[in-house]
Amino acid sequence: MKRARNDILQGTLDLLVLKCLAAQGSMHGYALTAHIQRVSAEQLRVEEGSLYPALHRMEQAGWVKAEWGSTEKNRQARFYGILAAGKRQLAEEEASWARLRDGVQRVLRYA
Amino acid sequence: MWYRRLLNVFRRDHLSADVARELDFHIAERADELVAHGMSPEAAAREARRRFGHTGSIREATQDADLFTWLDAAWRDTRYAARSLAASRGFTIVAITSLALGIGANTAIFSLIDAVMLRDLPVRAPQELVVIDEVGGQDGAGDYTNPIWEQVRDGEHPFAGVLAYGDLSVNLADAGEVRPANGLWVSGGFFEMLGVRAERGRLLSPADDARGCPATAVLSYAFWQSTLGADPGVIGRTIAFSGHPVEVIGIADPRFQGLEAGRAPAFYVPLCAQPVVEPSSGFLDKRSYWFLRILGRLPAQLSLASANAELQAKSATWFRNTLPADWGAENQTEYLTRRLEAQQSLGALSGARQSYSGALMILMSIVALVLLVACANVANLMLVRAEGRQRELAVRVALGAGRMRVARQLLTEGLLLALVGAAIGIGLAYQGSHALLHFLSSAREPVSLDLSIDLRVLLFTAATAVLTALLFGMAPAWRAFRVDPHDALTAHGRGAGHGRSRFGFGKILVSAQVALSLVLVTGAALLLGSFRAVADVDKGFDDRNVLVAETNFRWDDATPEARHEIEREALARLRAIPGVSAAAASFRTPLERKGWNGFAKVPGVTLPRGDDALSWINLVGDGYFATMGMRLVAGRDYSAADRLGGPDVVIINEVAAARFFASRNPVGATIQMEDGPQTTRSYEVVGVVSNASYRSLRENPLAQLFLPLAQQPDYAGTVSFELKASGSAAALRPIVTRALAEISPRATIQFRELEQQVAETLRTDRLLATLSVFFGALALLLAMIGLYGTMAYSIARRRAEIGIRLALGAAPERVSREVLREVAVMLGLGLLFGLAGVLATTRLVEGFLFGVTPREPSLLIGSAIVLGVATLAAGYLPARRAAAMDPMEALRQD
Repeated sequence: MKRARNDILQGTLDLLVLKCLAAQGSMHGYALTAHIQRVSAEQLRVEEGSLYPALHRMEQAGWVKAEWGSTEKNRQARFYGILAAGKRQLAEEEASWARLRDGVQRVLRYA
Repeated sequence: MWYRRLLNVFRRDHLSADVARELDFHIAERADELVAHGMSPEAAAREARRRFGHTGSIREATQDADLFTWLDAAWRDTRYAARSLAASRGFTIVAITSLALGIGANTAIFSLIDAVMLRDLPVRAPQELVVIDEVGGQDGAGDYTNPIWEQVRDGEHPFAGVLAYGDLSVNLADAGEVRPANGLWVSGGFFEMLGVRAERGRLLSPADDARGCPATAVLSYAFWQSTLGADPGVIGRTIAFSGHPVEVIGIADPRFQGLEAGRAPAFYVPLCAQPVVEPSSGFLDKRSYWFLRILGRLPAQLSLASANAELQAKSATWFRNTLPADWGAENQTEYLTRRLEAQQSLGALSGARQSYSGALMILMSIVALVLLVACANVANLMLVRAEGRQRELAVRVALGAGRMRVARQLLTEGLLLALVGAAIGIGLAYQGSHALLHFLSSAREPVSLDLSIDLRVLLFTAATAVLTALLFGMAPAWRAFRVDPHDALTAHGRGAGHGRSRFGFGKILVSAQVALSLVLVTGAALLLGSFRAVADVDKGFDDRNVLVAETNFRWDDATPEARHEIEREALARLRAIPGVSAAAASFRTPLERKGWNGFAKVPGVTLPRGDDALSWINLVGDGYFATMGMRLVAGRDYSAADRLGGPDVVIINEVAAARFFASRNPVGATIQMEDGPQTTRSYEVVGVVSNASYRSLRENPLAQLFLPLAQQPDYAGTVSFELKASGSAAALRPIVTRALAEISPRATIQFRELEQQVAETLRTDRLLATLSVFFGALALLLAMIGLYGTMAYSIARRRAEIGIRLALGAAPERVSREVLREVAVMLGLGLLFGLAGVLATTRLVEGFLFGVTPREPSLLIGSAIVLGVATLAAGYLPARRAAAMDPMEALRQD
C-alpha cells in the first residue's frame, strides 16, 4: 500500500474514525474529515489519501459497515457505521492510546 | 462475507467504479464548501481536486485495501493452519500419507486409463472417424484382405475419405540376433486423411501407393530419435527392413503415435511396397490374407445410419468381386452374405484397450475404494482432533471470533492437508504409472503410452483433493458450530455424560472403513488365489532352462530339401554344444499367443459338434517332446526317417485321442485334414503324447496335432530351436548365435526363455494380485489407525468417568471389556455392510478369476477373521490403557 503524507500520528486514524462513528452514528467520508477537523479545533486534518483506504480496510475487517445513501443535498454517498467488532476495537485502541499518551508524557516530564 | 472478497478480486472494474463514485462525492462536497466561502464554481472545482490529491492513486490504495485485507487474512489462516498442523506431527503425517497414497494411486491408474481409453487421437476431427466392421458373416473380426480394401478404396463409398493399415514387423539387424521393429502397412492416403503433418521431409501421399512402387517409408519421430539418433541426413537415405532396402522419405509429427493406444508404430510403409519388403507374403492379390483394418471419415452432413445403408448396398458388390476362388462352396456362400458397417467407436481398435481395460477398471475400483478409506480416515482423525480442540475453538468463539471465521480456519487446515497430500500424490503417481506400464509391457509386446501428466489428470487430482478437503474439513467445522461455548468451557473436557452420543459420527466412519476394507481384503484374496491357481496350473511341459532360438535362415529360393538339410545340420550343431542336454526344432512354441488350427476328420467318426473337430497344430522335429518334458503315452516319436517323400504321419495328444478315438487305440489309425482347396491329406497316427497348454494357461487342454516338421514341403518364415540347458539357458545365447552363423551367415535369431514366455502370459494376473494385496493391506492399516485413533480419544475423553468407576471398585478387566465391546460393535457393523459390499462387487472381478469362486464361504470367513484380528488388535491397546489407568491421577487432572 502506498503511504500518504499524514498529519495524524500513524495508527491513530482508525481510533479517530471509529470514535467519530461511535459517537455520531453513521457518516460519510467527507463528513468524517469535516467533523474531525472541527472537533479538533482545526488541529487535525485528515488526508483523503489515507482516509478512504483505511475505511475500506476497516470494512473488510468487519469493524464498520458501509452502504450507499443520499445526503441532505440529495447526493449519493457511502455512509459508514460502526459494528460490534469495531466497538471492541475502539475500546482497545482507546486503551492503547491512553497508554501511549501516558508514556510520552512521562518521558517529556521526567527525561 | 469472505466469498464476496473473493468475488471482488475478479470484479475489479465494478469495484473501481464504486470507489470512484465515492471519491467524486467527496470532491463535490469540498467544492460546495469552497463556493460557500466565495470562490467561483470553476476555481472551487479545481481547488477541491487539487486538495484531494491524485484520485487515481487514492483509488488504487483504497481498492488495494480491499484486496490486501483478504489476502492478508488468507495468508494468516494458512500460516496458522501450518503451525497448528506442525504442532500435532503424528496426526499430520498419518493424514498426509493417507491422502498422498489415495490420491497418488488414483492419479496413477487414471493416467493409464486416460492414455488407454479416454484420450482423443491426435488427428484432425477424430470424432468423424469411423471403424469399418464386418457384419453378416460368421465372425466380424474386423480384418480385411487387400483385394477388399482396393474395392472399398476405388468403389463408391459414402465417406469423405478412407484409409487402411495393417501390422508389419521387420528386423533391423543384418544377421545374427534379431532387432525387431514394429510398424504399419498403410494406404497412400493414410496421413492425408488423418491430417497428420510431417516433422521433416514429406509424408506418403496416394501417389506413393500404386502397384509397382519403390519401397519407401515414413518414420515415427520416436524411432528417428531413438534408433537413428535424430540424424537429420536420414531423409533420402536407404535403410534395411529385414534385409530389404527401403528409402526414408520423411519423419511424422511427434504427437502422432499411431491409431491404437499402447502400440506406437516405428514406421509406415505403403501397401504397394509389399513385393519388395515382404516378398514371401504376396498379400496384394491374396483373397484370404486378412490383415488390414479400414477407417472412414464421415462427411459432416451425413448420419452414420445413412452412411451404413449405402455401405450395406455397395459392399455386396465388393464381396462378390473378391470371392476367394479356392474356398469350398459352403464357405463361399457364407462369404457372399458378408457386409460392411461403420462403427463410431474407435475404442474397438485398440489392442491395449481390449487387453487391459478390464484390469484397469478393476484397479480403478480398488484405488477408488482406497481413496474412500483414506478420506474416511482423515475425516476421522480431523474429527478426533476437533473434539480435542473443542475448548480451544470455544475460547476463540467466546473471545469474539466469528463462527464463519473458525469454520474457515478448519477449512484452511483441511485444504492445506489435501494440497500437500495431492502434491506428494502426483509425485507418487508419476512414478507409479510408469512402474505399472513397465509391468504391462514385455519384450515381445512392448506397450508404449504417453503418460505425461495432462490437464485432465491434473483436474481429476485437484477435484479429488478439494472434494476431500471439503468432506473432512467441513465435518469438524459443522460440529464446531453445534458446540455451545459455555458448555465446552464448563464441561472441562470431561464429557462424562454426553461423550458417547457425540462420538457417533466417528464410529460410523470407523465402521465404514472396516466395511470398505473387507471388500478390498476379500478382493485381494480372490485375485491372489486366482493368480496362484493359474500359476500352479499343470502346463504339461517343463519350461525350466529352455532357450528358444527363433531363427530365420532367409532362404529365399532354396528347395524344401535344402531347407530341411540346413535345419538338420543346425540341430546337430546345437546338440553338440556343451551344456545342452536336449534340443529340437518346431514351428511354434507353447503360450506364444499365436495359434494355428484346422479341422481334422477321422473316417467313420462323427463328432457331436462340428467345432469339436477343431484341432491346434504344431510342426515339430524329432526329440521335441523329450526337450519339452512331455511324455509319450503310446506309439513312437518322430525319427530321421520321417522326411519328405515318406508316408505322412502325425502324433496327437491325449485330448485328441479321446475325442476322435474314444477308447480305441489311435496308433495306426488315420486322420484326415484339409490341405489346400478341396483336397484332403491323410496321416497315419504313430504316437500319442501327454497334454500341454497351447494358447493360455487358463483354458482346458486343446486337441492338438503334431505334424513332422521335416515333412513340410513349403513353409515360409522361421523355425524355432528349443534347447534344454543343464545350467542357465541365457548363457547359451552367444554360443548358439555363433553356431547358427556358421551354418548360415545371413540367419537372424530371436532368443526367448521359455520360462519368461510363460511368465509373460501371467502378467495381468500378477499385476492385479500384487496391487490388490498392496492396497488391501493399505486399507487395513488405515482402518486400524482410524480405529485406534477413535478409541484412544474416546477413552481420553472419558478419563474422569473411568477413573471414578475404577476408584469405586470396578474391575479393570470390566473396563477393558467394555472398550473392546465398543470395538466389536463397530467391527460387527462394518463386517455386515462389508459383506453386502462384497456380494455386490465381486461380480466385477468374476471374469478375471480362475480356479476360485467369488462367494466361497471359506474365503469370506478368512477375510473377516483377518479384519477381526486386525481391528481387535488396534482396539486392544487403548482398552488396556483404560484398564491400567491410575484412578487417583485420572481424577486429579482438571
